[in-house]
Amino acid sequence: MELLWTISATLLLCSLLSILWKEFDRRRNRNCYLLDYVCYKPSDDRKLSTELCSDVIARNKRLSVSDYKFLLKVVVNSGISEETYGPRSIIEGREECPTHDDCVDEVDDCMHRTLDELFLRTGISPIDVDVLVVNVSMFAPSPSLTSRIINRYRMREDVNTFSLAGMGCSASPIAIDLVNNIFKTRKRTLAVVVTSESIAPNWYCGTDKSMMLGNCLFRSGGCSFMLTNDPSLKHRAKMSLKCLVRAHLGADDDAYSCAIQREDAEGRVGFHLSKSLPKAAVLAFAENLQRLAPKVLPVGELALYVLRGLRHRLWRSKEARTDAATAARVNFKSGVDHFCLHTGGAAVIDAVGRALGLTKYDVEPARMTLHRWGNTSVSSLWYVLGYMEAKKRLRRKDRVLMLSFGAGFKCNSCLWEVLRDLNDGGAWEDCIRAYPQQTLVNPFMEKFGWVKEA
Amino acid sequence: MPAVPLPEFPRWAKFGYRFIVNNFVTLFLVGSMTAVGWELLQLGPDEIMALWRSLQEQPVSSLSAVFLVAFVAALYFMSRPRPVYLVDYACFKPPSTCRVPFATFMEHTRLINSDEKSVQFQTRILERSGLGEETCLPPANHYIPPNPTMEASRAEAQLVIFSAIDDLMKKTGLGPKDIDILVVNCSLFSPTPSLSAMIINKYKLRSNVRSFNLSGMGCSAGLISIDLARDLLQVHPRANALVVSTEIITPNFYAGNQRSMLLPNCLFRMGAAAILLSNRRREAGRAKYRLAHVVRTHKGADDRAYRCIYEEEDAEGHSGISLSKDLMAIAGEALKSNITTMGPLVLPVSEQLLFALNLVGRKLINPEWKPYIPDFEQAFDHFCIHAGGRAVIDQLQKSLQLSAEHVEASRMTLHRFGNTSSSSLWYELNYIESKGRMRRGDWVWQIGFGSGFKCNSAVWKCLRTIKAPVDGPWTECIDRYPVDIPEIVNL
Repeated sequence: MELLWTISATLLLCSLLSILWKEFDRRRNRNCYLLDYVCYKPSDDRKLSTELCSDVIARNKRLSVSDYKFLLKVVVNSGISEETYGPRSIIEGREECPTHDDCVDEVDDCMHRTLDELFLRTGISPIDVDVLVVNVSMFAPSPSLTSRIINRYRMREDVNTFSLAGMGCSASPIAIDLVNNIFKTRKRTLAVVVTSESIAPNWYCGTDKSMMLGNCLFRSGGCSFMLTNDPSLKHRAKMSLKCLVRAHLGADDDAYSCAIQREDAEGRVGFHLSKSLPKAAVLAFAENLQRLAPKVLPVGELALYVLRGLRHRLWRSKEARTDAATAARVNFKSGVDHFCLHTGGAAVIDAVGRALGLTKYDVEPARMTLHRWGNTSVSSLWYVLGYMEAKKRLRRKDRVLMLSFGAGFKCNSCLWEVLRDLNDGGAWEDCIRAYPQQTLVNPFMEKFGWVKEA
Repeated sequence: MPAVPLPEFPRWAKFGYRFIVNNFVTLFLVGSMTAVGWELLQLGPDEIMALWRSLQEQPVSSLSAVFLVAFVAALYFMSRPRPVYLVDYACFKPPSTCRVPFATFMEHTRLINSDEKSVQFQTRILERSGLGEETCLPPANHYIPPNPTMEASRAEAQLVIFSAIDDLMKKTGLGPKDIDILVVNCSLFSPTPSLSAMIINKYKLRSNVRSFNLSGMGCSAGLISIDLARDLLQVHPRANALVVSTEIITPNFYAGNQRSMLLPNCLFRMGAAAILLSNRRREAGRAKYRLAHVVRTHKGADDRAYRCIYEEEDAEGHSGISLSKDLMAIAGEALKSNITTMGPLVLPVSEQLLFALNLVGRKLINPEWKPYIPDFEQAFDHFCIHAGGRAVIDQLQKSLQLSAEHVEASRMTLHRFGNTSSSSLWYELNYIESKGRMRRGDWVWQIGFGSGFKCNSAVWKCLRTIKAPVDGPWTECIDRYPVDIPEIVNL
């Protein structure tokens, strides 16, 4: 009987240890590590100088003088430099009738350059990739862009591919969300995400002002990054994902239709940006921050926020109106060290910076990215991250918040923790020493400044 | 030298072999329990009392034995993945005003296309296509020439998707606020904001809904969406996932004359399906199916496979999708790869053993033995093969050695609805249900093919017998089916 008792006790202990090990193993594999990322640097012959921009605009003979002035004003106030890139088809004069090959070549160039470098830098072979996600909002050929990559790099038959399209400028966090969810169901998985935007097929050749903004603001860019949940690769990873929040305001009609691809009165397809866009952005932003704050901020700051809110409510008559605004503000800098803001435009960056209580130092990466690369849509967050890394700002245990907005209307954010001191120059290697530029000399302002007075 | 054929055994021998091998564990347990029971019956009452008293004197060991069993059981249940239930699904029923009988199609083709050779080519395709007279094209395609604007495309998307979702909500009582996950797949139309945003706007879904919009992934994308929804349901407890599969025809009319690109005009038709998946335990009671496996195979690394369904511009600059002549061969190879992974998951032990023995035999004894094709009719009761075209169904019937009844759902769906791309699998499933053939415990295999080249398959287990008549797109016409589809219809 003693033997029976010993055997039972041993088996019991084994089962208990087994359950605990299973739980520990499951948690170990739930992390999402960023191994590396590569931002796209197109060739120099694709740079859009002021001359070239005005030539391209002038090519549209349907524009009246006031339309031309309006476009130039937008470009002058945009905060971008002469170093941004455009698609070859537009530079070569085919903006109104791009061929299928033009569109495919534009995306191929981005995907191939960034992926070649990514595989080289990480030393990981394409055959080891388990999950592949591509998100390019405005171009979805058949076979999909994921199939193009599988064909070029001869990936395995059982790669799980996902081709996201139509999800707007904030699709990068959506792709990360997809991969993060898959990581929680499988062990030791390697994922590659390619995020870019297609400009060539989406040039607007009409005269509707609300649709011409897209032509002036978007620039070529992209990024490929590699994620894994394999704990054995943690020592090589740059960052670890802490949390991700997605807010979708599509239920509100104004928010849904404020950034929408549609035909104008003459039947030409363009991307319409309405006047209610800032309001939708604010609402989406607030919704996102409300859910993000408890996950990101330290308990002390949250408690202070609650206390301030209570104080404001209880002593309402004694508070001046301006104090009410400050009373309500949460200090995000208590939980976040660096902010990767979507470079939607100078106004967007400034507005978000003000709302979060950020200093000039905090918004510098976003402002400089806008200056150097323009609005590269989904991949802008990664250029901003690249700036911070090139400036050696990212130290171990720092927390980085990525925040972006997009059509839908969505506001998506994700928080990363830096795992080791990061020093790569990346796409900024050759020009980081010139930044930050103290005065953002706007070449468009010099040449076309007369537009402001006219 | 011709392959050595395998010996033919009588039916009773085959049945006996399958019964013993597949139920081996059950038979063993039943045998041992009978032996133990027989032993117990031999014992007298005194001996039984002595046994009982000895157990009572050792409470610790008997209790630990009980706990041990409980822990092992808990361990087993905890390590199993969350079950994913298909609560219900709804397919879009095209209105009769959108019908395109052969005469209409041919007349429109002649008026739009001046090239006589192209018209004749399309006539020949239609004659051999396996399509019937009731397939439907969207309103924009009824114009001469078709009117493929973005507005018309959105209108078609709204018509097909919203009808399917409305039907689904009525059937299941699902409210917009109950949807936690939304996955939409539409290959050839991806506006910004996406179709998923369009659905969120129309039904006022919650702001924290997890939406994904897949595009460009071809006719097999429906199963990719199911795979994604399943992964998400593994991570989020007590969640409902709405999957919408469709193909929007309006923007994809091919206006040129290249033959390889004219086929989609002849075959693709309007359709959509909305599926409700859930991992909530309380849905198990009313769910129709449980998802058992999803296997995805991508042959894109092979250039021939990659180029067999390819979007490009012809010499005149018209954009269209060209289908290569190798399509059937490539589909066969992709299916073989998919089955290699699927086989061990679904085939009964008897078939796997035979396959393994045949493989060993071919490697060690005689390479000339004919390869053994596992009998998939042993593993599955129903087959839903993507109604890509008559040739695809014929090819699969031959490869998998299926009977005419097993491919009936695919053939009849192609006849009644045409090639509705990713949603065709759901029309076929609805056909089987409408015929009253779906019984509790039945296994269903859905196989989709698509550009890439991909072959994806899903295995479902039926949880409750589904009684006909079933509310769906087949309601009014199921009694006319099956119909005899001639090899060539004379136009």
